[in-house]
Amino acid sequence: MLSYILAGLATGSIFAIAAGSLVITYVASGVFNLAFAAMAFTVARVYYQLHVESGWGIAPAAFVSLVVFAPLMGAVLYLVLFRFLQGRSTIIKLMATLGLSVALPPLVELVLGKLTANTAPGLAPVPLKVFRFAGATVNADQVAMYIGLLVVLVVGVGVLRFTDIGLKVRALVDSGALTSLSGTNPGRVSMGVWAVSTMLAGLTGILVAPTSGLSVAGMTPLMTTAFAAVVAARLKNLPVAMGVGLLIGLAGAVPQKWIDPNSSFSHYFLPCIPFIFMLAALVYFAVRGQTGDQATGGALDRAIAVEGGDSSVVPSAGLKIGRFPLPVVLSVVFVVVVGLLPQVFNTYWAGLTASGIVLAIVLLSYTLVTGEGGMLWLCQISFAGFGAILVAELATLRGWDPIVATLVGPLVAIPIGLLIGALTIRLGELYIALVTLTVALLAQTLVITQTRWYNFGSGTPVSRPSFALDNKAFIYLALAVFLAVALLVVNLRRSTAGLALGAVRWSENGARTIGLSVLQSKLLVSALAAYVATLGGAFIAMNNQTTLPDFFQPFTGLVWLAVLMTLGSRSVMAALVTGLLYYYMPALFQQYLPTSLGEVPIILFGLGAVALATHPEGAFSQIAGDMTKKRAKKATAKSPTPPPTPPASPTSTTSEPAVAGRHA
Amino acid sequence: MNSTPRLEAKGVTMRFGGLTALADIDLAVPAGQIVGLVGPNGAGKSTLFGVLSGLLKPTTGTVLMDGEDVTATSPQLRARRGLARTFQHPELFSSLTVREHLSLAYRVRHTKSRILSDLVTGRGLFPKKDAEEDARVDELLGELNLTSIQHSAVVGLPLGTSRLVEIGRALATDPKVMLMDEPSSGLDVSESDDLASTMRKVVAERGVSLLFVEHDVPMVLGLCDHVYVIDFGQKIAEGNPDEIRANAAVRAAYIGEESEEITINEDDAVLAATSGGDRS
Repeated sequence: MLSYILAGLATGSIFAIAAGSLVITYVASGVFNLAFAAMAFTVARVYYQLHVESGWGIAPAAFVSLVVFAPLMGAVLYLVLFRFLQGRSTIIKLMATLGLSVALPPLVELVLGKLTANTAPGLAPVPLKVFRFAGATVNADQVAMYIGLLVVLVVGVGVLRFTDIGLKVRALVDSGALTSLSGTNPGRVSMGVWAVSTMLAGLTGILVAPTSGLSVAGMTPLMTTAFAAVVAARLKNLPVAMGVGLLIGLAGAVPQKWIDPNSSFSHYFLPCIPFIFMLAALVYFAVRGQTGDQATGGALDRAIAVEGGDSSVVPSAGLKIGRFPLPVVLSVVFVVVVGLLPQVFNTYWAGLTASGIVLAIVLLSYTLVTGEGGMLWLCQISFAGFGAILVAELATLRGWDPIVATLVGPLVAIPIGLLIGALTIRLGELYIALVTLTVALLAQTLVITQTRWYNFGSGTPVSRPSFALDNKAFIYLALAVFLAVALLVVNLRRSTAGLALGAVRWSENGARTIGLSVLQSKLLVSALAAYVATLGGAFIAMNNQTTLPDFFQPFTGLVWLAVLMTLGSRSVMAALVTGLLYYYMPALFQQYLPTSLGEVPIILFGLGAVALATHPEGAFSQIAGDMTKKRAKKATAKSPTPPPTPPASPTSTTSEPAVAGRHA
Repeated sequence: MNSTPRLEAKGVTMRFGGLTALADIDLAVPAGQIVGLVGPNGAGKSTLFGVLSGLLKPTTGTVLMDGEDVTATSPQLRARRGLARTFQHPELFSSLTVREHLSLAYRVRHTKSRILSDLVTGRGLFPKKDAEEDARVDELLGELNLTSIQHSAVVGLPLGTSRLVEIGRALATDPKVMLMDEPSSGLDVSESDDLASTMRKVVAERGVSLLFVEHDVPMVLGLCDHVYVIDFGQKIAEGNPDEIRANAAVRAAYIGEESEEITINEDDAVLAATSGGDRS
């Protein structure tokens, strides 16, 4: 039994450090770091480079990677990214860190090279020494994990409690504004916090690499497990976060005394443990009425905070061509151009076009749930994967007509979407993102990769409809479905439901006191988004002519979302452009540039989302905004009288642009 | 005349941990009356508004609408029963225009099924005029001098204009009783006068009952039929404006001591000057 407890404490130590790091950066900066796994991987990859590839000893490699490189990286990231996130909406903060998580790993691989195998040593010398303690055995890597946690606790508590720096950090946690008024530069303190948290991320990366592998995919479960601990700590309580991290480690190890770790029960049960903790914590908070996003900082910070920084308040150029607004005309032209592409493209490019369009259908579900509903759902790709296995089940295994299976089957996703919505809507934006990402990982393990449809990774075959067997016909079918869904989204946005969604998004109290139900409004969009994502997934499967279960990795969904947010989460045309760019850009790099630059498109996708920190409105809206400014400038130059709209005063409610856009 | 108050608080106590924000408050807003709620900063006025509108659940006590206990009901249900409110810090919908605020509020009250039916009928893509809605919204925009900016988004509007949008939004729900939290804050003298006449008009013509928190004491005393004064979460006085002017406890709450020599008009000025400031 002791062996299991010690093993659980070892992995729990890593979860505890990770959870602690996430809590510290959140309370000190208001940013929940979704790039934690990417940062852990980066530092661990540098350690690997020094220790394994350059032959340095463990101590100097660890010193340089953890004490020199990691803090430097944290400070640089603070200067180029995190400091711009102050005052931004939760979604923008999350998306910027998500962009970083997308861009950082391929950037590291571009510089340091791609590893062929992901096995890596930890901080203990190899071969690992084994220690015996009261009949139980622990290896040196596990001892390193205990020591890691101990050092973090002793140094962390010591610094926070008994030093001037710790006092400043605690002051910053309470109120950045008051810290500033007392003569301390909160920016410098924040930079220090990010430096330290990057060091902690690196430490967890190096410690976990021997067991989970030196890859982002291996470190993402570490991060999401830490999410569970952080949620249990209501994002703020450091001792609870670390304690729950340890408990999760124990809960994963101790049952293995009785359950065969290779059994199918273990296969399903073990990945659920963090989710069970998260769910238990959420239910507990719900019962106690403690749900909802918690503000960071103090009263003064909230009083001087600027509302906005979100893509749902965007300028509209207001230009028209004839009777029609310019965005509508441009959208029609773009769709016509896309429609002509199959006529001019060869089979390869036509295939990419088909892939781009079917992806665009899935992306419209993000337009619905994030763009309109204001909820950052990170499990849309899992709905898409569900759509793929659903169409395989109905059309291939049960003999339904493929088009009927594709259109009717996704109705099953609606109650699932409603359930996820009902469980998360009251929690607040940040919790929604954390819970849905955990759901995505769980769905990937428990549902999408089920042996019934997995077929050793090649998936279950899926037929296209008889009238759309070739790529050209299939493109037109997919484009028609995309346009139908796009019109549905535009109709929703401009309808009473769209106004209601806008209302609940910006002020729940304001919405409730005019008689709107926040829950009902958001459930409506949750149900629609679940259906659309599942429908898109079914089309992806039809396009690939197989379910390809490994295609629907949650991390891939983050890349999709990063690109979409870069272009604009409320624009249906941005969804189509994103879908096409996602396939065209890597193909262009592959065809016309050296192979070594193959990861550059992903880096660019991630950096695009990072840029939301400074341009939260997205590229499409930014272009529209620039056009508005130019137009206003021209109008001012022509007219001697000032424009009629009252100017924003220091007492105005926000500093965002004054005209709400109506995206095409 | 029906003697049952439109809105009533009975023995409302609200505690946040160890802090008692409201202690055993009784208050009634009769039909067709304007009732004022005044008190120094931190007295508990906004907390009481939160309890009355359903955003806060009282620790003890009941809230009644037309004599029926609504303490356990949600803010949206109270809104549907005819309760509307504005906020001290305007709670506007940043992505909506001024007109859309009023239209949405009107629809939620009168044609709520449109939230779903518009999706099926395609009314978002092919808008269809609703003459009644347009007339009511136009009327409110005109009354509040918002017509010229009806198609502007609310982001960037000055605070005073934002308050008028909130008031318009509340009135668009055709409320029976309306709670207004510092409606004249941010308005200039002429705008405040316009607002006061609008308030009188909605009470006279539509029979709306008003309960409002206001630091502009001359406005409160000039407009209200009945005034409640609270301090440190406790009701210290109630009565008609003349009774409030003469009340020693009110003077003490506002200026820290009793002052018999102050004339009525000076009272208003002193109360107005001190009500927005710190306790001294």
